[in-house]
Parts: sequence; C-alpha cells; structure tokens
Amino acid sequence: MALSLPLIRDAIIFASLLTMLSTGLTLTYMTTKVPNFAHGDFATMSIYLNLALVHLLGLSPYLGVVPSFFFSGLIALVLYIAVLRPLLNRGANYVILMIATIAYDMILISIINIIADYLNRVYKILTRLFQLKGFDLEFIEQPMIFIVAPVMSILIISLLYFFLNKTKFGIAMRAAIENPSLAEVIGININLTYAFSWFISGGLAGIAGALLPLYMTCNPDIGVRLLISVFAASIVGGLTNIYGAFLGGLVIGLAETLGTGYLSIMIGPWIVPYRPVIPLGLMLLTLLFAPRGLTGIDWRKLLRRELRA
Amino acid sequence: MTIPAVFFIDLLTIIGLFVIISMSLNLEFGYAGVPNFGKLLAVAGGAFFVGAVPGRLMMFIFNPSGGLDFVLNNIEAVTMLNQVIASDPSASIIYLLLSLVGAGIAGGVLGYVASYPAIRLRGDYLAITLLAMAEILRVVGDNWPELIGGSMGVRIPDPFRWVGGESRALAAAVTILAVAAVVFVYLELVLRSPLGRALRAMRDDELSAEVYGKDVVRLRTKTLIVGCAIAAIGGALYSFLTASVSARDFNRVTHTFWPWVMVIVGGAGNNVGALVGAGIFVTLRKIITFYKSYFEPFVPFDVVWLEYLLLGLALIVVLLYRPEGLVPEKPTKTLIRKDIQEIAERVRTEASSG
Repeated sequence: MALSLPLIRDAIIFASLLTMLSTGLTLTYMTTKVPNFAHGDFATMSIYLNLALVHLLGLSPYLGVVPSFFFSGLIALVLYIAVLRPLLNRGANYVILMIATIAYDMILISIINIIADYLNRVYKILTRLFQLKGFDLEFIEQPMIFIVAPVMSILIISLLYFFLNKTKFGIAMRAAIENPSLAEVIGININLTYAFSWFISGGLAGIAGALLPLYMTCNPDIGVRLLISVFAASIVGGLTNIYGAFLGGLVIGLAETLGTGYLSIMIGPWIVPYRPVIPLGLMLLTLLFAPRGLTGIDWRKLLRRELRA
Repeated sequence: MTIPAVFFIDLLTIIGLFVIISMSLNLEFGYAGVPNFGKLLAVAGGAFFVGAVPGRLMMFIFNPSGGLDFVLNNIEAVTMLNQVIASDPSASIIYLLLSLVGAGIAGGVLGYVASYPAIRLRGDYLAITLLAMAEILRVVGDNWPELIGGSMGVRIPDPFRWVGGESRALAAAVTILAVAAVVFVYLELVLRSPLGRALRAMRDDELSAEVYGKDVVRLRTKTLIVGCAIAAIGGALYSFLTASVSARDFNRVTHTFWPWVMVIVGGAGNNVGALVGAGIFVTLRKIITFYKSYFEPFVPFDVVWLEYLLLGLALIVVLLYRPEGLVPEKPTKTLIRKDIQEIAERVRTEASSG
C-alpha cells in the first residue's frame, strides 16, 4: 500500500509537536522527580491564548508562539514555586507531589473552561471543537505548519543540547540533576535551576499548544487526551534523558498517526477512536521489557551478545 | 414522601457511593501508599460489567428462544426482564447480589491486569499506567456499541423494582449504605490484622518492609485487586441506582479526582477520614448545585467550573497546610509493656522447660 502524503504529513507534524511536550515533561521529571499530570494543560492554556490573540487582535497564529512560550512557562513556574517547592522543602514524597500536580491540573482545567465559556459568550468565538487551519499560510502548496513544526522541534532540541552542554547555567543544571547535594556544596543554586527547568518545560508546552490548533481539532479536554501520548513518549524514551524524550516523541507520534491511519484503511474507520491504545500499548511494552526506555538499554552490550550467539 | 425526605435520601445515597469508592482508595493509598490514579478504571469497570453481563445472562435464562438482543432491543428486553423480576423479590435480590459479586471479580481482574506491567516499578509508573488504562476503558465503553450500547448507553433490569413507587429510592439507599457499612467493617478489620500492619510498613518504608521478609510486589498486587474490587462494587451500585449504564457517566474528575480529594482532605490512612471527606464534599456539591441557578445569570461561564476550581484549591491548601487531613491517622495500638514482658517470660520458661 502506498503511503499517502497527507497521512505522512500529519504524522510528521504530530510527532514534532509531541517531542516538544515530551522533552518538557522529561526535563521536570529529571529535576523534581515528579511526573507532572498538569503538563497537557500547560499546552491547552496556550491554545486558548493563541485563539484569543488570533481572533481578537488579528495576529497570525505563528506570532502567538512567543507570548505562548512565556505564558505557559509562567503557569508552570507558578506550580513549582507556589506548590511543589513548599512541599519539597517539607520533605513530601513523590506521591504527594503527584497529587499536587493533579490538583493543579484540575484548577487549570476549570480556568481553561471558564476562559472558553467567556470567549464564547462575550466575543462569540467558537471555543469548543475548533481549528485554526484557516489561518495557516501556504508554502509550496503545503500548509506552513508542515515546515514549521519539524523545524521548530529540531531547533528546540538543538538549543536544549547547546544550553545543557555549552552554557554555565546549563551545566549547573545537569549537576543539580545528577547530584543535588554535591551541586549545592559547590555553590549551585538548585532552586533556581529547578525553577528554570519548570519555566522551560511549560514554555515548550506553550509552543506546542500555540501550534496545535493549526493541525488538529482542539477542545478544553485535549490536555488529558494528549497526556497519554506525552507520558508514553517520555517513558519509551526513558524518563531520565531529554534526547530520549525527543526520540520517544518521534516514535510515539509516528506510530500513533501512521498506525491509526493504516488500520483505519485496512480494518475500517471504526478503529479511529481507539487511537490512544497505540501509545498505551507501546508504553506497556516498554515498561514490561525495557523499563528504562530506549536510552536506558545498553545497545552495545545487546549487539555484542547477538553477535556472539 | 416530602421534599426534604427525598433530598436526604438522595444525599445519603450519593454519600454512601462515594464512601465506598474513597474507602477503596484509602486502602490503596492510605494504608499501602499505592498511588492509584486510575480509580475511574475500577468504578467504570464494575458499572460496565453490570451493563454487559447480568442482563445478557438473564435473557439467556428467561428468553432462550426469543431473538431479542440485549443491546439492540434494549428497551424491549429490559421491560421484559423487569416484568419477570418485579413480581419476584427473591429473584431481584439474587440478581443484585450475584451482579455485585461479579462486578467485584471483574474489578479485581481489571486491577490486576492493568497494574501488572508497572507493579514492579516505582509508584509513579504505576500511577501513569493506571490513569492511561482508565482513559482507554472509557474510550472502549464509549465506542464499542456491543458492550454497553456505546455513547447511547444501556438500560439494565432494575433490582429495586419490586419495592415499587416511592420506596424504591429508600431501598436503593439502604442497600448502598449497607454495602458501605460492610466495606467499612472489613477495612477496619484489615487495618488491625497483620496484613494491615504489613501494608503500612510498606507505605512508610518499602525497603525495611522487604528486609523483614515482606513481598512488596505481592502486597501491592493484593491491595490493588481488593481496592479495585471494592470500587467496582461501588460503580455497580451506581448503575443499579440509575438502572442504566453509560460510558459518558464516568469521567476522571468525578471518579478519580473526587475520591482523592475526599481521602486527602478527610485524612488518609483511616476510614473515618474517608467517611468525613465523602460527607463534606458530597454535601457541599449538593448545596452548590442547589444554589447554582441563583448566580448563574451573573457570570459569563458555567458555574460548574468554579466548583472544580474550589476542589483543586482545597486539595492544594490541605496538602500545604494540613497534610494529615481533618481526621489524622491514629498510631497503631500496641500491647502495654507489662503484657509484653509477661509473654516474653512465658516464652522463656517454655523454652527452658521444653
């Protein structure tokens, strides 16, 4: 069966956006050691910010990327500074931190819905099951998002690589991740590095959120639906390595879109709603056979064993 | 019946349902420290079971040749079954009890299967897995019409129909509260048993529990099976109360997040806390729903979101300022020193004589 261009295009866009979400989730997991259940809502907040900017100020959706980055970054920073840091200082374990992120998730969901209702009732903007595809530009007869999403995704992971390896603050952050107490002894401000990681994490989710309505139909509950894919991507990547998260985002994004596309052609369109089964399945396989993810496997050792056998 | 009586019966019924679900979470999280973020999985699982299985079985028994499909000809089928069991209290009660047992088993199996891939890993992997599994189950229930009628839902035979008329609500309330009481007593007994102490040891320090020879994975599995079974019975009871099952009735907010708020605010680790938490939040929600229409015209959004906002804030405030909850867990009672010395003495004499 021939690969159809729209399907490949969809897969590439979704995989690119997913990498932005999964690298952010993994980054905060590495610093604070808590899976952030509110991560999907960071993106959703920016979806609605961008929607408001496009409709009320008439901006291009691509210009919304910059305010979205700061907006979602600040939302993530609030979670860390107002909730997680006080809990960490008191010595709360990771279960309590997870519950706190779920509570924050609930708060954000209600704020998102309030914003959606408000925009809808006061400004008569369609805020449920909407898209912004009509506002996209065209580039060689393809929607611009097909170019922007992958370029942005590669740019972000390159910048993160540069930041973590070539800048002093980035190296300090890696030190704070690897051994917090030792890093503190040599004068690294751990709280600052952790807070910065939350800001970056939220910001990346914000960029993904600003671009999402150009690609798919959005709704206030999209954060929850994305969350399964994002967690799957991070776990497949290994949860302790942001390049792994990038890889996981690509694997899950491509598998989810292409898998659903193929199966719906081969078996029938009734399969489409079961789309989240694909990321879940890959996540479960990872947990069962390689719980440390793709980057946790010692490939060289595995290869040597294969060659010997 | 008067309006206040109806209101109170309804209130007690819903409190009873949430007490069952939050006590099951209390067993998992409060006793054993297992973060089950997929409470929805078991609750919906129990409800889906009573939507899918007992009705079909009864069609097989009472109408073997009939050609009525339980889902496709749902209304005719349920009307027929209702006629059969409405005149026969014992059949109704057997139907109710067997369905609850079945739902419990289904919930236990779901809990075991869903937690299996991540049960050996740190709790956060388990939490993510259970959350994702719960969402998938909801998607399946919503999109697979053969199971429970998809997005339309199904009606199920009403086990309280023989009571008839206005007393039906009372019968349902009594049943639900009775189940809640049984679960309460059972969990209190578990708490005082060696198993309960092992669970709390695991919660407080997994490594030392392992050092003392406790199989942590086994304990976690057991906890999840029992917890999910109880929650599934709660879900089944909810379906019997409404005499219908629809995947749309089950969502992450009501069936995962609410029980968490109830357990944490009430006080994790003791069942009275779960009771208090469920009581407070169900009553609060009733009051909000009651007065909602008064300030609906003044705000440009649906008031229900304000309620979510308050619940989320309440949870964070409790976590930050009163992590032990309204009713803190009591330390385990141990024997007084004299008794311990006596036992030690007896063991010593037995050892020297034998």
